[in-house]
Amino acid sequence: MSNSDNHDHDHTAAPMVEEISDFEVLEVAVRELCIEKGIFTQDDHNQWTEYMHTLGPLPAGRLVAKAWLDDDYKQLCIDDPVKASLEVGVDWVNSMPSKFGTPSDYCNPRILVDEPKVKHVVVCTLCSCYPRPILGQSPEWYRTPNYRRRMVRWPRQVLSEFGLQLPEDVEIRVADSNQKTRYVVMPTRPEGTDGWSEDQLAEIVTRDCLIGVAMPRADRKVDDKRHVHKAIHPYGH
Amino acid sequence: MSKPIPLLDKIGEEGRVWNDLREEYGVENPDPPWRVTLESTCEALNEGACVLPSLARRDEEDDLVNELYSHIPHPERQLLALAHSMIIRGIMTEEDLAHHIKVVEKRLNAA
Repeated sequence: MSNSDNHDHDHTAAPMVEEISDFEVLEVAVRELCIEKGIFTQDDHNQWTEYMHTLGPLPAGRLVAKAWLDDDYKQLCIDDPVKASLEVGVDWVNSMPSKFGTPSDYCNPRILVDEPKVKHVVVCTLCSCYPRPILGQSPEWYRTPNYRRRMVRWPRQVLSEFGLQLPEDVEIRVADSNQKTRYVVMPTRPEGTDGWSEDQLAEIVTRDCLIGVAMPRADRKVDDKRHVHKAIHPYGH
Repeated sequence: MSKPIPLLDKIGEEGRVWNDLREEYGVENPDPPWRVTLESTCEALNEGACVLPSLARRDEEDDLVNELYSHIPHPERQLLALAHSMIIRGIMTEEDLAHHIKVVEKRLNAA
């Protein structure tokens, strides 16, 4: 790259939070006290943090896109999700900082394949177990008692609150995660995607589709700009 | 019923949550920069010595949020619940934590 190229981009600094909150201080204090007491080392902690930063929903989106295009791979996803995950760069057994697989969890991932009349959705009624190696950190709502308690009892109602209205003849299967078993949903391939490449397909498999609270759409990409529709009856007008 | 811990109550009442800060400063990141390090602390506490196993921590977090920290958003309440669990289990004392908070505060706010 020439020197002149270095000056092509906009140098305006992105806004930053310019103050240190009490919560930020508390987080540091708790962490440092643990280190001081010998519960873990800074190095242990760094390894977890670096690992966490590598996690996100992209590998699972890629896995689904590959399976949509390749029936053999789809079968592998069903039969041996650990092996299938390796093909999208996720090693459930060896890549955790613990170096002995995982801290008792994660090692039994399962891929739940939707069908036109069967919709899967994932929950953890007990706490917030989530397939982090392939999906990243769980969203806040996934941890709430509201979601965890109600999804198993009234899945159709809860899904409709996410904007997913399923016809009565579609069976909903709710998978309850636990420390050993983590679920990822493989949704059905949407209409309007004939002839699409794996890259194109991977772009429409969003995190919510992989949890099962949304369905992929040909017109909705992972990195779409967030639209805000104007209110029909705005407040105060 | 969980007993309130004055130090954590004070932080919960007076601390500025990420949602307010990012709105004021026009920052888009939905999570505070310390969220990942908090998660790492939770993992490290579960790991090895199992000082605070994940399942027990999450159970307590649910109870504590329900009883004491329901008005505080996530992940701030996850952090308060973690500190609360550590204090009631004797992993650290409230005095330990109060002292260390002062040390950290002074260091982070040094000009």
